[in-house]
Amino acid sequence: MKTKKSIRILVAEDDDDDKLLIIKAFQKTLSIENITCVSDGEELINYLHKTSNSENSQFPIPDIILLDLNMPRKDGKTTLQEIKNHEEFRKIPVIIFTTSNLKEDVQMTYKMGTNSFITKPGNFKDLVKITQEINNYWSNTVVLPD
Amino acid sequence: MKIEKAPKLEKVKTYSIITLVLVILGSAISFWVANRIDYYTAELVHTEEVLQSTDKLYATILERETSIRGYLLTGNEDFLANYENSITNGREVFNHILNLTEDNPVQQNYLQELNIFMKQRLDVFERSKEYYKINKTLDGFLNNSKVEDAVNGHISIKNLINQINAEEERILIQRNEILINNVNALPFIVGLISFFSILMGALTLFSIFHYNRASKINDQKIKNYQETLKEKIELLNESNNELKQFAYIASHDLQEPLRKITSFSDLLKEQFDEKLEGEGKHYMERITASANRMRQLITDLLEYSRAGRDSMESIKMINLEDILDSVLDDLEISITEKDAKIKYENLPTIEGKETELRQVFQNLISNSLKFSQAGIAPEITITASNAPIELISKYAQLDQSINYYLIKVADNGIGFDQDYADTIFTIFQRLHGKSEFEGTGIGLSITRKIIEKNNGLILAEGKPEIGATFIIILPKP
Repeated sequence: MKTKKSIRILVAEDDDDDKLLIIKAFQKTLSIENITCVSDGEELINYLHKTSNSENSQFPIPDIILLDLNMPRKDGKTTLQEIKNHEEFRKIPVIIFTTSNLKEDVQMTYKMGTNSFITKPGNFKDLVKITQEINNYWSNTVVLPD
Repeated sequence: MKIEKAPKLEKVKTYSIITLVLVILGSAISFWVANRIDYYTAELVHTEEVLQSTDKLYATILERETSIRGYLLTGNEDFLANYENSITNGREVFNHILNLTEDNPVQQNYLQELNIFMKQRLDVFERSKEYYKINKTLDGFLNNSKVEDAVNGHISIKNLINQINAEEERILIQRNEILINNVNALPFIVGLISFFSILMGALTLFSIFHYNRASKINDQKIKNYQETLKEKIELLNESNNELKQFAYIASHDLQEPLRKITSFSDLLKEQFDEKLEGEGKHYMERITASANRMRQLITDLLEYSRAGRDSMESIKMINLEDILDSVLDDLEISITEKDAKIKYENLPTIEGKETELRQVFQNLISNSLKFSQAGIAPEITITASNAPIELISKYAQLDQSINYYLIKVADNGIGFDQDYADTIFTIFQRLHGKSEFEGTGIGLSITRKIIEKNNGLILAEGKPEIGATFIIILPKP
């Protein structure tokens, strides 16, 4: 597998366990520096506002966002809406990563502009598989905006 | 709910009938009394006539005596004409009285006696008249005894007439009294009956008013009760919806920690596999197996809570053979594995949701496949016919006015004791140990829920070691 460039992922997840599991799974294919975690929508938006394109930025712009739907303060749907309504942020692909498998949720988030909808798998092996697929797809298969 | 006590309509009817009878009785009695008054008034007139007639009779007798005496004294023939006249008049009057008192034997007796005396007197008159005609004088005819006879005869006649009058007067008084009594009684009787009629009429009216008022109050109460019931039903629906939501959320939220248990045990196994050995490894497997089972339970529970829920899926005509074709496709692996034979033909088309019906048959057939007898290839037969009315009438929850299909899914599996025919449909109820047959015990509950949501019924018949038959009754489209 030829990796052009490691992608930078921003994970919005309020649950510490899930956060840990997602990081562990992504670590199989990505280095820890490429993974950033925030705990809710509010934090995520704040983070995005602090980002800059400069080389040694403390807050680099993420290549993709992994967004949980059920979060305190600002939930996933509201956050998604804010991202997709923002002049700059809307170009960042968003993957809804949630426990929900409700048809309505799928329907609604795609309408709001999400790029993928993934239901959290029931075990770690499947999670690893999914993170590998995400990494492979977004870093190798598609071309991302600068 | 307390029902207002209302007089029964029967009671009101009875009151009305009594009132009517009283009015009729009153009229009859009044009429009768009026008739009696009429009768006695006529009788009084009659008695009065008798009295007048006796007076008239006495007058003719006196005239007769005066006339004959005048003739005998003067020889004037005019007196004789008067005499003859009075005799004729007297006879007429006498006969008239005889007729009038026909019904009174006392008066008749008196009249007979009077007649004899009158005849005797007349006889004397006739003889003296004849004597005078020849001799032109009464000398030699009259003697003392004859005069005495004449006086006595006259007194007797007078006495008799007096007696007749007395008798008539006695009758007159008696009748008058009866008449007065009747006249006096009439207003009393009429008044009494009118009083009771009015009373009964009032009672009837009162009962009707009371009845109307009570039924109005009761109507209002029933209306209130219906409203309360409606509110209660709404509340029930609300809490039912909450419960559904609760089941859904609970199942969902339960998945969350479960997912973590599984994931972290996976992680543990992955990272520390070499360090775990013997019992440690065994415990890890047990944790994973339990977590898997719990996930299955939650998934099934979720499915159960969703089963029969109003989904977006539309109701349409569905051919059961098509459903079975696709179900058998899905179950192909286990069918081949078990070498099962599944027969069905001429299955009807019914109205329903495709996913629901598919789930029903999927559950039933996988159930049959699962509970097959060791060493015997499963045979499953699905048949359909019209449900007999006798069967439908046994179940109150079925609409007796429509037609149903009877669909049977029969197998040659391990069967079950008929005592458990109902238990097998209860959620989480299992007849066998988990180690014997896996499963959560929700499949048949889901099946029943779907069938009942579709206004149908599912029954089970079983014989241990022979097989089980599931009977589905569903309305014809």
